[in-house]
Order: sequence, then C-alpha cells, then structure tokens
Amino acid sequence: MMRIDKRRLYHLDWYLIINGLALFAIGILNLISATSSFYSGSYNYIMKQLIAFLIGIILIFVIIYYDYRVIASHSKWLYLSALLFIVLVLVIGMIAGGAKRWISILGINFQPSEFMKPILVLYLANKLYEKKRDNIPLGLKDISLPIFLTMLPAILIVKQPDLGTAVIIVLTCLAILWFVGLKKSTYTLLISIGALSPFILWEYLMKPYQKMRILSFINIDADPSGFGYHAKQAMIAVGSGKFLGKGYMAGTQHKLQFIPEHHTDFIFTVFGEEWGFVGSIVLFALFISFIYRCLKISQTAHDELGSIIAFGMASIIYLQFTINVLMAIHLAPVVGIPLPFISYGGSSLVTMLVSVGILLNISMRRYMF
Amino acid sequence: MKEETPPLNKYKWCRLILIITIAVLLIRLWDLQIMKGSEMRKLSEQNRIRIKKVVAPRGVIYDKTGKVMADTRPSFNMYVTPEDIKDFNQTVDGLARLINIDREEIVDKLKAASGFPPSFPVKIKSDISMDEVAKVEANRVYLPGVSIQIEPKRNYPYGKMAAHVLGYVSEINSEELKSKGYKDYSPGDFIGKYGLERNYENYLRGVDGEKRVEVDAIGREVRTLDVKEPIPGNNLYLNIDMEIQTLAEKALESKKGGCIALETKTGAVIALVSRPSFDPNKFSAGITKEDWKEVTTDKTHPLQNRVIQGRYPPGSVFKIVLALKALDVGILNERTNFLCRGSFPFGNRVFKCWKKGGHGNVAIHRGIVESCDVFFYNVGVRLGIDRIHAMADSIGLGKLTGIDLPGEKQGLVPSSEWKKKTFGEPWYEGETVSVSIGQGAVWLTPIELAQLASFVANEGVTFTPQIVNRIVSPEGKAIKVFDPVMNTNVKLKKEVINTVKEGMKGVVNEPSGTAYGSRIQNINMSGKTGTAQVASLEKGKHLGDHAWFIAFAPAEAPSISICVLVEHGGHGSSVSAPIAKIITENIYKTKVEIKEAKNP
Repeated sequence: MMRIDKRRLYHLDWYLIINGLALFAIGILNLISATSSFYSGSYNYIMKQLIAFLIGIILIFVIIYYDYRVIASHSKWLYLSALLFIVLVLVIGMIAGGAKRWISILGINFQPSEFMKPILVLYLANKLYEKKRDNIPLGLKDISLPIFLTMLPAILIVKQPDLGTAVIIVLTCLAILWFVGLKKSTYTLLISIGALSPFILWEYLMKPYQKMRILSFINIDADPSGFGYHAKQAMIAVGSGKFLGKGYMAGTQHKLQFIPEHHTDFIFTVFGEEWGFVGSIVLFALFISFIYRCLKISQTAHDELGSIIAFGMASIIYLQFTINVLMAIHLAPVVGIPLPFISYGGSSLVTMLVSVGILLNISMRRYMF
Repeated sequence: MKEETPPLNKYKWCRLILIITIAVLLIRLWDLQIMKGSEMRKLSEQNRIRIKKVVAPRGVIYDKTGKVMADTRPSFNMYVTPEDIKDFNQTVDGLARLINIDREEIVDKLKAASGFPPSFPVKIKSDISMDEVAKVEANRVYLPGVSIQIEPKRNYPYGKMAAHVLGYVSEINSEELKSKGYKDYSPGDFIGKYGLERNYENYLRGVDGEKRVEVDAIGREVRTLDVKEPIPGNNLYLNIDMEIQTLAEKALESKKGGCIALETKTGAVIALVSRPSFDPNKFSAGITKEDWKEVTTDKTHPLQNRVIQGRYPPGSVFKIVLALKALDVGILNERTNFLCRGSFPFGNRVFKCWKKGGHGNVAIHRGIVESCDVFFYNVGVRLGIDRIHAMADSIGLGKLTGIDLPGEKQGLVPSSEWKKKTFGEPWYEGETVSVSIGQGAVWLTPIELAQLASFVANEGVTFTPQIVNRIVSPEGKAIKVFDPVMNTNVKLKKEVINTVKEGMKGVVNEPSGTAYGSRIQNINMSGKTGTAQVASLEKGKHLGDHAWFIAFAPAEAPSISICVLVEHGGHGSSVSAPIAKIITENIYKTKVEIKEAKNP
C-alpha cells in the first residue's frame, strides 16, 4: 500500500467534482420540491439524502487513498460479498412496494443491487484489461466468464424483482465487452442472442406486471388506470412545464400526487414540470458533460485497467440517465431506474459517489509511471 | 493484427451515441414542452382544477308581519365525481356500506348524469347526517371521488302549515332538465315544484356562484383558487298573516277541507289552509322513496290544494247568486212571498226543503237567513238556468280567479249552451231546481266562493286573490309590489246588494239564522251556510255532506271575506261557520289591539 502523494491530490479532477456537485445540488433542490406538498414538507427525505451524501464523500476519500489497481485486484472479494448480500436480500430482505430490494443492517436500509454496479465494473475490468492491453479481440471463451459473472447477479436481481437494475448491469457488461473489443464471430453471436432475448424475457422471466408495463408503453391507453395512467401523467407533467416551467415548488402534477414515485424513478417529471424546456437543457448539458468527462478519464487513463473501469462507470451513468429520462417522457417502458445524483435513494447516491471516487482515483493517477 | 481496433475509434462511437441521445431527448422535449406544451398545461390544469358550484341560497319567504315561513339552512350533500373514481365497485360499495343508501340508487344517479363531463360532481344524497359525514370523511382515502359539500337547504319552520301556499322544492328531474324552461339548470339543482316556490321560481332562485378548487389525484380538495360568490334569491313578503293562518290550520287540523280569508278591498290572501297537509321539509331533503309513495298514494290526497283545486257542489251558498240575479232583474222584491210546505213538486219529482215541516210564507230575507230551499226552487225556476249562469259568470264563478298559485282549477256553473255542447242534450227545467240550491251540475272551488262573499261585501267589485305582497331584493330593495288587480266590477242596484247583505247579516245575527251559533259579540259578521249533499259512488253508502260557510265582516263596512269548506263535515252551520268565527274574531281582535295601542 502506498501513501497518498500530495502531487496526486493536485491532479484531482476538479471538473468532474464540480460537475458532480452541481448535479447533486440540483438534485437536493429538486428533492425538496418533490417531497413537499403545498403546505408542508418533510425534511426526513432531505436529511437521509444528505447523510448518504456524507457517507459517499467519506468513501471517496477512502477510495482515492488506495490505488485503483489495488482495489481492482481485490475486486473478487468485493464481488463475492456483494453477491452474498444480493442472495441475503432474497432470504431476509424487506418487502416494500411488492418487491424485496432492501436489506437492513444496524438499522440502515440499503439496496445491495446498487453496489453491484461499480463492483462488477471493477471485477470485469480486472478480468479483461490484459486482453485489451494486448489488443486481443475477445472470443467466445473469453466472454463466457464475464457474461456468467454478470448474469448470476442479474438473474438474482430480477428475482427481487428489480428489472431496472438488472438491465443496467447487463447493458454495462455488454458495453465493457464491446469496449475491450470483440471478434466478429462474437459480435454475431451476441447480436443473435440479443435478437432472441426479448422473446426469452417475455416468455420465461417477466412477471405479469412487467409485461403490462411493456404493453402500456406500446399503447398508452391500454391500461388507463394503471401504468398507462402514470406514464400519461408523467408526460403531462413534463409537457405542462412548457418553455420556462411552472416555477420552483409550483409543480402541481407531483404535488397533488398524480405521479407515483415522483421522488425516485419519476424525479425528472418534477424537474421538467417546474423548470421547463430551458431547465431540462441545462440538466441534460450537465449530464452529458459529466459523461463526457468520464470518457475523457477513460481515454487518458494510465493503463487499460483504468480505461476500462472509467468507461464502465461512464456507461452506468449514461444508461441510467438515458433510460430514466426516456421513461419519464414516454420513450421507454416504465422500469425502476434512478436518475443519478437527482433521484432520492441513499444506496444509489452512495454508489454514484463511490463511482466518482474511483473515477477521481483513476484520473489523479494518470501520470503514474 | 488486422482485427486490431484503435481505441480512439471507440471514443468516437461514444461521442456519436451521446450526440444521438441528446438529439432524441431534445426533439422529444421540444415536442412535449413547446409544440404540445399548451395542450399539456391544459391537461394538467384539468387534472387539478375542479369547478364546484356554490349554490345560491333561495330567497326567504316572510309572512305579512315578517315571520319567516321559508328560509335556507346549511346541509351536507354528498357528491361523487366519476372522473376521480379509481375502482367503481370500491367506491360505490363503500358508500352503500357507510351511509343509508342503496347501491342501485347510487348507480342510477351516476347513470342519469352520464351525459355530463366526468369531472362534473354528481349529487348522490342530500342532507346527510353529521354521523354520515363523519363516517365518509374518516374513509375518504378508500372512497376516491367522493366529496361532501355544504350547501343551503330549504327549510320550512312551520312544517305542515301553509304547505299548499308555500309549496316545496325538490331536485330537478330528467324531463324538466330537457324542457326549455329549465335550460340553465343542471342535475342536482333544486327547483320549486309546487305552490309559491314554483310560481316565483325565477325570483326566489338566486344566481349560483362558482368555486375553483384544486384537487389531488384522489379528488380531495387541497385549496381554493378563487370564488365567484353566489347571489341570493329575492325574498317574498306575503299577505298571509301566520297568526291567523295558524288558528285556521288548528281549526281544520283533523278535518279534510280548506279555508281562505281575503281582504275584500285588495284581494290579499290573509290565510289559506288546505287539509290534510304535507311536510314540505321532506321534499327539500330529497324525498325518500317511501315518503313519496306515502304522499302520492294517500287516499286523502294531501298534495291537493283543496281551496283552489277542489271542486264541490256549493249547496245553499249558491242561493246568494240566485238572490242577486232575481232581485236585479225584478223577479223578486223584498216582499215577494213563496209558501214553503217542506216540499216542492216539479214535473214528476218532489224536491224537499231541508226543514221537514216547511217554513211557511217566506220572503227573500227569511229565505236567506233560514236558507229555505223551496223559496229558491221557486226563484230558480223563474230565473231559468241561463240567467243564473249569467250572474255566476259575472261574479267570476266557474272561472279561474287568477290567484298567484299554480294549478288552480275552475269550477262549473251550467248553462243550456254548456249542456248542449257537452252532452248534446237540451237543458231540462228540473235540473234548474237542483242548481237553485247549489246541487246538481254546479261545482265550485272554495276560492271562487270566497270571491262570491267579496262580491257581495264589495258591492260588485272583486280583486284577484294575491298571496305575495311584494318581492324584495336581498339588499332590501322592493323589486315588485303587487297592486290590487280588479277582477269584476259589476254595477248592481243599491237595494239589491243591501237586501242580500241584510240577509247574510241575519244568517249570523238573527236567532233564526242558520249560523246564529257563530255570532261574534263586538263585531257583526255576515255569512251564508251551505250543506251540500254528496252523491256516493258506492250504492248504499252515505257520505257525509260537505259543510260550507262563506262570510264577510264587519257587516257594515266589510274588509275581509272568508270561505270555509269541510269535506263530509256535516252542516255548514255547525262545522264551518265556527271556523270563520275564529278567524274573524282574531283578525279584529288584533286590529282592535293595534288601535288601542295607538291611542292610549
């Protein structure tokens, strides 16, 4: 273990930090509006979110203290413990909203599937970086283990059921495989599996309510009182923001409870309604710039390991952002995916900050020899 | 190493994907927020804003002295907004369980309003109890779409008294909604359906206000955005004096019949009683099925206003008409005598006098005072039906009086022309004999006979009976004052009127008069009794006679006229005259008191 070098701190990526803080600040402001009615607010949510933020910041300091290569070399154990927690969730998890996603330890509730995201990136990067360094396109044999390592937690997470997180994990794995480089034959195989997967999902894995979501996405009026209703109300919320929005704390759609989960998965509807087109552009710009910076870190990383890890983190953030917003504006079916930094949820926020820590770790060690 | 892909290439792909992503998001947002923005804004407003009606309080009805006869009090009404129902059965079954209402009734009401937009709240039950309010409020979360509104409800403090005058209000029905007269009404509105409430609907009804409220996803009111205050209806001041009305109501309480007292000089209605009566409060609460059934199937017809709608043979009261005509045309003078032996043979029939032994030689004065039938048989036969009809017609009998109540019915005084038209048969003289004593084809309403009393009292002049004195705006400004409207103005010879008046005075004030028992000490009342036989529809069953009494007072300078009818009551002298006595006594007692108070 090496001691942290003052020069390394000097190389901290302030762009990423400020960009991330800006997103978090918007998130907190937006959450205050989302969790209060016209008469009263609950500081409970805000306090929890701020505590999660503090924990995340502490974890960032811990993470940047160790070289990312050291962390990656221990990723197997991180992976196994995350997997253990995911199994535990299915055994002793708490039921909320019809799903077992949380586990309570020492009075703190957390969602292990969230932590699996960056850990899987670390583990896969650790398994694959040598291939990338040697510029060997991945063959069937090479991808079988990463895919197994991904599918194992993914299937367990689907069982919770938490389709959203599972989708993010699988897509991130595929992005990493693509980034490392694939043989043409592997591409062909993956694409054919990809073509078949909707059928397999539909027939064997999806629960009736998940199917209903897909159906109501295709035809919004198929289920006007259930998912279709929510999707429609979400769309109305965003659309009614018009150019400049209804104004902060003035969003009627969420304050009058027309949108379920408006502080978590549908958080963008709150923002879109209150800040309108202009506010949304600003938010999108912050996200794109953040993702772009992640890619930059990947590009300028000292080694292929750092490059793959940073790319993986970028993928997670990109996928969550895109799918979450597309869902709110009815361009994707309703799946439970939080909007990074903005949605309420301690596990999600801590995970995002851990990812930022890893990214800072990689970027500050880019001039290492 | 041909399969080698330079890593830079991958980042280019990433950038391309980012650009495509942002483009898709922006195009979609542009479409939603800019192109469809206004439409979406409207949808979100429709989501949250409900326009609720603020029902205007109906005008208050006061009696002559300012006593409240009808006003409004707050009541809790329960509504269901179809749009806010999440699970139809949950809401409907939940309500049926909590409050006293059938499931079908709720479904029916919702169906009836299906032509209106789903955001339109449908009234399910009016005037629910505090208990029910508490139950519904406690379960609001499980009853999406249900709301309770505080709205004015019509209240009649006197209950069954003057019910036929006031009438009642009730929820507008679907046929009325379709009719032109009610085109600016909506379901759940209360309208006057009877009595003054109906006749003065346009004055009593105010202008409903509007309240824009914000509701949440389950239809709960969150806040009020703005209110357009309702304008209350105009108030009515009646000519009715509740003190007199109450006395008359009590006198007729357990009887069937009616009574009306008019001011002779104006036509103002001082009291109007029809019994049996009904409680108008039951209607304004949204009458229950059982109550409606009870009121409409009751064989005593409590909803009928006997004073203006009940047609009865007038009996001896009708003799006044004959006396007037006979004196006027000169068939009679004060001394013309007819011998009464207790019967009057005519054709192959024998018509009897009510007094078995007969009255002996009778002239006009005794004829009226003692109500000798034979005397008037003679008069009638000499007059002939058409002259009787002409007189009755000029008094206004057989015609609508024009009282300001809906549903007045006109009586009938036959003529030869009428018989020809109706039956295609000529008039037989024998029929004239029956008509002479107010039997046969004569059918008159109590209000027509009250007009007859006024006609004599006023010497040929009558005024249209008027219940409402004036209409006053909520601010106290008189909108409409009803001046007396002359109904008849017949020039009669002074001595004709005087002879009849003397006769009518004698009826009450001479020991041999038929209503001597009802004389009043300090004031002279004039009157005429009538005991009309009723033909029974069932053979062998004798229905009691209708007891009539018409009166005016004071005899010397009349200012009120009265008509009392008690169905199957027996003798006019013993049943109806005492009621007129009570009314007259009390009207003049109060008048005397006022005079005394003014001159201490």
